[in-house]
Amino acid sequence: MGKEVLFSAQNITKQYPGTLALSNVSLEIEPGKVVGLVGENGAGKSTLLKIIMGIEHPTEGGMKMHGETYHPQSPIEANKQGIGMVFQEQSLIQNLTVGQNIFFGQEENYTRFGILNKKKMYEDAKEVMNAVELEHIRADKKVSTLDFATRQMVEIAKVFHVAKREDGKGCVILLDEPTSVLNEGEVQNLFKNVRKMTAKGNSVVFISHRLDEVLEISDYIYVFKDGKNVCELDRKDADEDILYEKMVGKTASGEYYQIHRQTKPQAEVLMEAKGLGMRGYFRNINFSLHKGEVVGICGVVGSGKEELCGVICGDEEATSGSLFVRGKEVHLKHPYQALAQGILSIPKERREESVIEDKTIYENISMSNYKKVSSNGLISSEKEKQQAEAYLKELAIKAPSISQQVGFLSGGNAQKVVFARILASDADILLLNHPTRGVDIGAKGEIYSLIRDITAQGKGVIVLGDTLDECIGLSNRLLVMKDGEITKELDASADHKPEQVDIVKYMM
Amino acid sequence: MGQMENTSQIAKEFAEEMEKKNRKEKITNWMPVGILVFLIVMLSVVADGFLTMYNFRSILSQLSILLVMSMGLTFVILIGGTDLSGEGLGGFVGAIVSLMVLNTKTSLDLGVLAILIAVAAGVAVGIISGLIHVKGMLPSFMVTYAISSVMAGFAVLSYKGTPAMIQDEFFTALSQGSLLGIPYLTLIALVIFLISYFLLEHTRFGSYVYAIGDNEGVARNTGINIEKVKIKIFAWSGFCIGVAGVMGAIRVGRGDVSIGTGTVFPAITAVVVGGTSLSGGKGGVLNSLVGAFIVTVVNNGLILLGVSTYVQSAVQGLIIIAAVALSVSKGNKEIVK
Repeated sequence: MGKEVLFSAQNITKQYPGTLALSNVSLEIEPGKVVGLVGENGAGKSTLLKIIMGIEHPTEGGMKMHGETYHPQSPIEANKQGIGMVFQEQSLIQNLTVGQNIFFGQEENYTRFGILNKKKMYEDAKEVMNAVELEHIRADKKVSTLDFATRQMVEIAKVFHVAKREDGKGCVILLDEPTSVLNEGEVQNLFKNVRKMTAKGNSVVFISHRLDEVLEISDYIYVFKDGKNVCELDRKDADEDILYEKMVGKTASGEYYQIHRQTKPQAEVLMEAKGLGMRGYFRNINFSLHKGEVVGICGVVGSGKEELCGVICGDEEATSGSLFVRGKEVHLKHPYQALAQGILSIPKERREESVIEDKTIYENISMSNYKKVSSNGLISSEKEKQQAEAYLKELAIKAPSISQQVGFLSGGNAQKVVFARILASDADILLLNHPTRGVDIGAKGEIYSLIRDITAQGKGVIVLGDTLDECIGLSNRLLVMKDGEITKELDASADHKPEQVDIVKYMM
Repeated sequence: MGQMENTSQIAKEFAEEMEKKNRKEKITNWMPVGILVFLIVMLSVVADGFLTMYNFRSILSQLSILLVMSMGLTFVILIGGTDLSGEGLGGFVGAIVSLMVLNTKTSLDLGVLAILIAVAAGVAVGIISGLIHVKGMLPSFMVTYAISSVMAGFAVLSYKGTPAMIQDEFFTALSQGSLLGIPYLTLIALVIFLISYFLLEHTRFGSYVYAIGDNEGVARNTGINIEKVKIKIFAWSGFCIGVAGVMGAIRVGRGDVSIGTGTVFPAITAVVVGGTSLSGGKGGVLNSLVGAFIVTVVNNGLILLGVSTYVQSAVQGLIIIAAVALSVSKGNKEIVK
């Protein structure tokens, strides 16, 4: 042994209904070290952080801080034990000053009869800011007047402060993608502060999709994939290629994705993007989608793929470039306009965005095309039901009857109802945003089969896969996005599937 | 890949977009002041008698009750809620204060104590509204709207049909007197304003009001007792309504339930026109002071221009729609119910 440990997690497992987010994860953090966590989206990093912060609780396993059992019920308790986290979404209160934010929730030392002694508060805030070399930020400035990067630095200063333990023992700071809004100089300043923190015996956990940064700052790196930590590497033994290799998920067999049924794209172009851009999210996107083709878009969260998807289905507006559907330029401002062009999406969050849970299966199916089930301008429930009966059989939707409310169906069957709606809509450009999210294995296979059916009919599909593997397995062609741009376009025809490692390289 | 590549183009664009939004917000923040100045200049030109000392005093006098009502509402709206109980509750407080001072109906003569009791009743009802809202998890607008109706009923019950006329000389003096040209009622309103400002900007309570309005999740995770803060906010709103109710009784000289009638809508208008966001977190009592001036000056101007009261009401309605339209940031994905 002999190794001193500041924080440790032993055999943490987190089971959500339907998914195993973390499986038997153990981790040790030594004092004075920077620990990098890397892995694809969905590999389990965020869940682990939430458990460490007391936002979520492990199904199994335990944690220790300074050798004592650590079992936080809330972020406040985590703070008290010396663990703080800078969240990806900023959590400062805009209309309060920098000083008020730093001491937010701990105003006891600055309050008499409920009245704040702002002067004293700002003096102390100044000290906190000085400690992280942010002397130039005034403590009496309202956060809403600061620019984005400065807010991020204030947030970090605040977390450094709240996680300070009263007994002076070392603390642990979790940084979740702290650099995504910082420029190079600011990143370096952050790293300087991280090193200063660790020199005093504190530890920092650093999570980033930017592997070069992880490699620069970390002492050792844990690689996560599919809810497990697959290895622990000393920085000396790691480089980007090794990390890519370790973090890609398992590859399923070609049969699983029914690659033998993958159709060859036809010559006719359904949709084409030329220099498409949305300010601040993605830029200069060029691609085309042919009849019978599946185009997969890969990228980490924040790569701009979600926003690109939003623009294509009319949910967001492009700010530059143009989109052509069947050779004609279109300007989409609303999803209904996209539907009129034959574009329909299956959104990511099924319960919130795609199904009306209180409505029946047959009503959910006819929603995107009422014309088909109407006569003389009135909806005929007779026709609606006939249509639904047909799809129930065709897609093997398991439900007692078509009058069942969708809210009572399993994830897989509810998703099949959404597919039935897409088929009934007659749209021929389909955007599938995580089409198998929250769907059990069996139903996944049926959905893959459905996607093959759809392309066999000559429709075009754009897919944002739930996993990289799924994206590769389903697609004819892959677009890899990073920082809002397409960094690589890869052929993924049935006999030519690229390796995950080769794609991850362009994602991070 | 290589070492530390430069910040991506898209990140720069994103930062620029945020900056643009920030600048726009700074301009919007000053808009209410601009509008007020514009109104004053314009009315000075077109409305005879606008720019006179007499009219200035009358604006100050008209401002008083509106300002007090809007002070309480500012806190409620800052957390994204609303308090519609002012009509009934204001009327109730006005009714009972009239019954407790020297008056035509009862033999009670409690003097200043009557004011304290009446305002305390306002606070109590505010706490009840807050409790129902927080513990029952019911929307604040519905709870307070219902409470307004309940209190209007109690108001009429309290004086059994005919309201009490106030005979207390202290009250009559308050209604007419002034100090350095400023009506007493307006001075009271200004005191309430100062207290509100202090509460919001210089107390822990005030910080929590902003925090809850901006991001309730953060406030909760920081360990703040959100329910308690919310109940306090409704108590404060009840206090302001109570003071406004007493002021109303002083002004009209009798404890009629109609004291409260038509006070809530202008107060909400004042808060929103001043720039406090209906979705919470943004704005403050200074904004509401400007907003109260805008509403009062508009009404005053319309009267001077000889516009009928019905048109005034329509104008007020349009103002609030315009103000909300300007203050709410819209994205085409925003779901508004």
